[in-house]
Amino acid sequence: MPDDALFLISIIALPFLGSFIAALLPTNARNAEAWLAGLVSVGVVAIAISFRPVLAAGNVVRAEYAWLPEFGLNFILRLDGLAWSFVVLIGGIGFLVVLYARYYMSPADPAPRFFAFLLAFMGAMLGIVVSGNLIQLVVFWELTSIFSFLLISYWNHNQTARDGARVALTVTAAGGLCLLAAMLLLGRIVGSFDLETVLTSGPRIVSHPLYLTMLILFALGVLTKSAQFPFHFWLPRAMVAPTPVSAYLHSATMVKAGVFLLARFWPAMAGHEYWFWIFAPIGVATLLIGAFMALFQQDLKGLLAYSTISHLGLITLLLGLGSPLAAVAAIFHIMNHATFKASLFMAAGIIDHEAGTRDVRRLGGLYRAMPITALLATVAAAAMAGVPLLNGFLSKEMFFAETIESHVDTVLDKALPYIATIAGVFSVAYSLRLIHQVFFGPPAKDLPRQPHDPVLWMLLPVALLVLICLLVGILPGPTIGNFLAMAVHATLGPQTPTYSLAVWHGFTPALFMSGVAMIGGVALYFALQRYLSGDVEGVPILGALKGKRLFERALVFLSWRWARELEQNAGTTRLQPQMRLLVCVTIAAALWSLFSRPGSLDFTWPSSADPAFVLVWLVGGICAVAAAYQAKYHRLVSLILTGGAGLATCITFAWLSAPDLALTQLLVEIVTTVLILLGLRWLPKRIEGLDPDMTPKARLRRVRDLLIAVAGGAGLAALSYTVLTWPIGNSIASNFLERAYTEGGGRNVVNVILVDFRGFDTFGEIAVLAIASITVFSLLRRFRPARDSIELPAQKSFQNRFDADRYTGGKDPLSAHYMIVPGLIMRLLFPVIAMTAAFLFMRGHDLPGGGFVAGLTLAIAFILQYMAGGTRWAEARLRVLPARWMGFGLLAAAATGAGAWFFGRPFLTSAFAYADIPILGKVPMASALFFDLGVFSVVVGATVLILIALAHQALRVQRVSSDAAAAPPTEGSR
Amino acid sequence: MNTFMASSFGPALPEIILAIGVLVLVLVGAFMGNRSNWIIGTASFALLAAALLAVGLTPPTRTTIFAGSFISDDFARYMKALVLLGSAAAIALSSDFMEREGFARFEYPILILLSTIGMMMMISANDLIALYLGLELQSLAAYVIAAIHRDNVRSSEAGLKYFVLGALSSGMLLYGASLVYGFTGTVSFPGIASSLQGEASIGLILGLVFLSAGVAFKLAAAPFHMWTPDVYEGAPTPVTAFFASAPKAAAMAMAVRLFIGGFPSITESWQQIIVFVSILSMVIGAFAAIGQTNVKRLMAYSSIGNVGYALIGLATGTQAGVQGIIIYMAIYLAMTLGTFALIIGMRRGNQYVETIADLSGAAQTHPWRAFCLAMMMFSLAGIPPLAGFFSKFYIFAAAIQTGQMMLVVLAVIGVLTSVVGAFYYIRVVKIMYFDEPKPGFEKLPDGAQAVLIACSVVVVFFWLIPSPLVDSAAHAARSLFH
Repeated sequence: MPDDALFLISIIALPFLGSFIAALLPTNARNAEAWLAGLVSVGVVAIAISFRPVLAAGNVVRAEYAWLPEFGLNFILRLDGLAWSFVVLIGGIGFLVVLYARYYMSPADPAPRFFAFLLAFMGAMLGIVVSGNLIQLVVFWELTSIFSFLLISYWNHNQTARDGARVALTVTAAGGLCLLAAMLLLGRIVGSFDLETVLTSGPRIVSHPLYLTMLILFALGVLTKSAQFPFHFWLPRAMVAPTPVSAYLHSATMVKAGVFLLARFWPAMAGHEYWFWIFAPIGVATLLIGAFMALFQQDLKGLLAYSTISHLGLITLLLGLGSPLAAVAAIFHIMNHATFKASLFMAAGIIDHEAGTRDVRRLGGLYRAMPITALLATVAAAAMAGVPLLNGFLSKEMFFAETIESHVDTVLDKALPYIATIAGVFSVAYSLRLIHQVFFGPPAKDLPRQPHDPVLWMLLPVALLVLICLLVGILPGPTIGNFLAMAVHATLGPQTPTYSLAVWHGFTPALFMSGVAMIGGVALYFALQRYLSGDVEGVPILGALKGKRLFERALVFLSWRWARELEQNAGTTRLQPQMRLLVCVTIAAALWSLFSRPGSLDFTWPSSADPAFVLVWLVGGICAVAAAYQAKYHRLVSLILTGGAGLATCITFAWLSAPDLALTQLLVEIVTTVLILLGLRWLPKRIEGLDPDMTPKARLRRVRDLLIAVAGGAGLAALSYTVLTWPIGNSIASNFLERAYTEGGGRNVVNVILVDFRGFDTFGEIAVLAIASITVFSLLRRFRPARDSIELPAQKSFQNRFDADRYTGGKDPLSAHYMIVPGLIMRLLFPVIAMTAAFLFMRGHDLPGGGFVAGLTLAIAFILQYMAGGTRWAEARLRVLPARWMGFGLLAAAATGAGAWFFGRPFLTSAFAYADIPILGKVPMASALFFDLGVFSVVVGATVLILIALAHQALRVQRVSSDAAAAPPTEGSR
Repeated sequence: MNTFMASSFGPALPEIILAIGVLVLVLVGAFMGNRSNWIIGTASFALLAAALLAVGLTPPTRTTIFAGSFISDDFARYMKALVLLGSAAAIALSSDFMEREGFARFEYPILILLSTIGMMMMISANDLIALYLGLELQSLAAYVIAAIHRDNVRSSEAGLKYFVLGALSSGMLLYGASLVYGFTGTVSFPGIASSLQGEASIGLILGLVFLSAGVAFKLAAAPFHMWTPDVYEGAPTPVTAFFASAPKAAAMAMAVRLFIGGFPSITESWQQIIVFVSILSMVIGAFAAIGQTNVKRLMAYSSIGNVGYALIGLATGTQAGVQGIIIYMAIYLAMTLGTFALIIGMRRGNQYVETIADLSGAAQTHPWRAFCLAMMMFSLAGIPPLAGFFSKFYIFAAAIQTGQMMLVVLAVIGVLTSVVGAFYYIRVVKIMYFDEPKPGFEKLPDGAQAVLIACSVVVVFFWLIPSPLVDSAAHAARSLFH
């Protein structure tokens, strides 16, 4: 058994290995390449033949390797009669094609690429037939698509070759993906990806609810690969490939992969009407359309391509009928078609090679110049037409016999004998045309080259194939009998019908049909001969049916135009629409989840409300909305309105008995408003209100934005309200309230949390505050005001002009009088505010206040000094620099925390006691107080540092504007 | 003290190594300026390697520290390793780029490291606060990196856009988190999971919707994908490579933790959202990419589509689905980084070029590079036997295994969009192989070359020995479903 496994794996491994070696050989090593490829093919066939005795006994050879075990996927190779016959076909015809290609390909063509691709393709194809695992099968299936793409586009300097290859790849690879989906479904239905299991679970598959879905996907995969109508258009386009490639791909391999799969899964899937209704009509359509179109082709290879399509339609029809006998006929015809079609393609290649053209109309009378080719081609064409004593006759006879049988009692079934005969008529006609117009009739005159028979080696493959046609046709039993029996038995198993392979069955209806087809075909050809030799391009009637054009148009639409439009309409690179989309989608998602399910938000309106409180909120809300409205047009107004909203928040805190929060909020409001105010100076000038000439569209836009804002705001408010009124679970809040005094030594819970319970957080926060202010400072240090904000603000220059007019006579400079009264008051206020800050700081642990609040208060005092005295005045008197304030604060906080270590406690453990200070009396002295001092110090330092940074802009601008007056504007940014 | 450290900080050792290392590097950079570029670059690699080693040494058992905020399990280890490798590749890719473009700054590796710490926090987050902290650390560093080429208008624009939209989406996530907290009374994922018994309240669902919006933004999943093409195009290429790789993996891990760890009992509720996002991402990723002419924009849409595929795995909510995601992200990382290594090599006549047309005929001027890119493209298109096929396979298989109709349909849509996707990936190959060659590119920088080789090996040879990746992904997925 291990030997078997080794041999089995080498069936696949050999071609891929060969391909790899072939790719490495030098460009001109044509002989070496051909030897290599030939040996590989012979090796494959030899291995296959060595298995024959085992398989003939009805056994199956298997080899398994662990691949993706946790998915239950093993790499399984499985060789049975059907696979075996395909291996022999692929290997055998592969060998002949290699031999032929050696002499066909011109020395200028890069040989390594050709043979490497060809061998890889052969490996992939062999992989399909010996795969014992569905997924593995798809993998090889897609590989054949890729390598056929590479083979078809072999002459890649040629635009049509590239197009043809692309179309082939798109169609077959897309089909392959459908097949993958089908196989995944199939694996799910059966519960295993092992082919063995799948083949034996026919009834289960057919009765499964997913059967139809799976079958359609499967059909898409199979029909695209086998070029069945309406996916047939890729095949004629693929004829731009070198002829050996066509001979290989379109006789024994590529297109046969589809029908192989049909045969492979026939026992598992065919037992249902759906099977008939999907495959039989498509087979019929393809059979007829292919045969009809083949007759009107002017290109030799085109004719063969359409005849291939037609024959594949025939095979699909046979398999689609669902009767075992039809399946036998199908398998037989697969073999026969491979032999005669390969030889015909090769013959066409020889004609092209020797005569320099493939146009049927230009050729004629070639039998004089190339008698051997003519003879061989005639026999092969006769096999294709189904002339007795040739293999094509036998399988066609079986086909005709089968059409007469009744399968599914319908019109289609009843019409089948007539349809088959008509297809036979066309088949005879185009075969006759191929031979008669090319080899007989008046000799062609203006051929590009002088034709003569090619070298022996090129004829040999053709001759061998034709010989097989003859032998099988005359002596079917001894030659192909066992071969076929093995394949059929492996496919159908116990369902194998009795059939007889004889040349003569007596006078049967099938023979009569054959006769009609013969006579009709000959008559049809001679009736149409004049028309066909004329200057006609394309096919009558069905010519309008351009699958390829439809495909390309669909592709362009789907892939290019729609995509572009989608991107143009839905995509944008502008920030505003992107944000709008983000918000809208979220609102929509929220609404959707709100309405898509029963139940609603537990929304309870408050039972009563104090009118004054409601009024405060109304004012606050109006301020907020107005601030948003003015944000673009008047920043100052907007800022003041924001302050109003903040004030409403302060009142709310106070109202809800949180004076400490209210105090903090108030001071934060003041400081931030002032700082932003100072920053506003350097922003670009404001936009003067709404544009009166605004277009209706712009108005609509604004309305839309308003609606979005209302929806978003209302939604958020409603949600916040719901969350706020949601019953609180076990919150930590009560815990803090209980322990603030007993463990933190303070009654101001907020302050205790800040400096004690969450001291470590606060420590981090003050560090961040210090860093942030340093960052602001260093960023603003390099700030260059925008050109349009250098000038003095309008009202100030107005005031200056007014003052200049009024006080021109005075002796003192104007600035001496500037804000003299408020300035004095503000200076006097400094000690008072500082005192307040100290007061707030000291009482902070028990009553509203604390380090943070006190720091902000002192910062306000500094801000007032800046406003009153100006930057220069204030800084000349600044004794403690802000950076030192911050440094001291951080160190104080850290030292307090570290102090706890000396008492063997963790960092920042606090202790408290009451200190008796003269005059003031008993003062609570928690260790947290020192920590709070640190907080205070950092807050003062940070605020003042930002203030300095902003204030210095004023000085710099004066310098800039004076520099600008004196020197070129590029200088003086510092 | 030592035992204390070992017991309580041990699982966070990789993060701690990185964090301390970054602080030291910042100081080095601050004192030495841009002279220290190479020191910091080398040290960053060393730090990432040390962190990777620490991740490897972390015991595979499931441990939580910091009062349950931080979790370490197999899933975390796997994803962290992925993120660390992605970040290292991003630094390697930038090796020559910054000098050539004249904006070499020592901050770049430092920011990448910071972002990496954030990502690792996201992966290990076991409650909403830890998740948000990690997310913000990652994002803030990313905003700065996007705009690191300050003199370039497009780079600045990318940074600004990313920041504004990112802030908005972070707000949404935070809002969702607070709603979830409001309605369940806890922020920890296991806590949320155990408090959800029976039908979820509507408020909670709303919270989930907002959370999903935030997560979708971080993942660049449609309909929150709008920033991606602009940011990818505008940011310097190594930065784009970074954005497309490690943060995606981290965000996906975060989504898995959040949804599967936090809301396992109300799967149907979030499944719908994920399915919707997934379908939209796949469709937009496939169709919008077709019309692109810029490689980086193309990759942006490609990443949107890929996130859509990975989300199929999340939508299943099963162990197989999570395993699929893990494998998907690992392979996606290899494909993306490999592709970007090649995009970085697109330098001609002293400047970087970015259009697809610039690749025309590259097969003749640079056969190996073209081959690698072709492999990447085929792999992204999901063509067997390249790695990209398997990543899709595991995801689709997981969806089909569940047997739910919705998920089967999702898988079918996935297959169809990957056909469309194949179209534009293969178009790149066609342009490289069949179009008229243009002048050659300059030599590939060493860093990019190393990344390219590593990624190509993974992509091309994954099918030979898939088990290391697949098995460890199985372990990682199992650790979530203990």
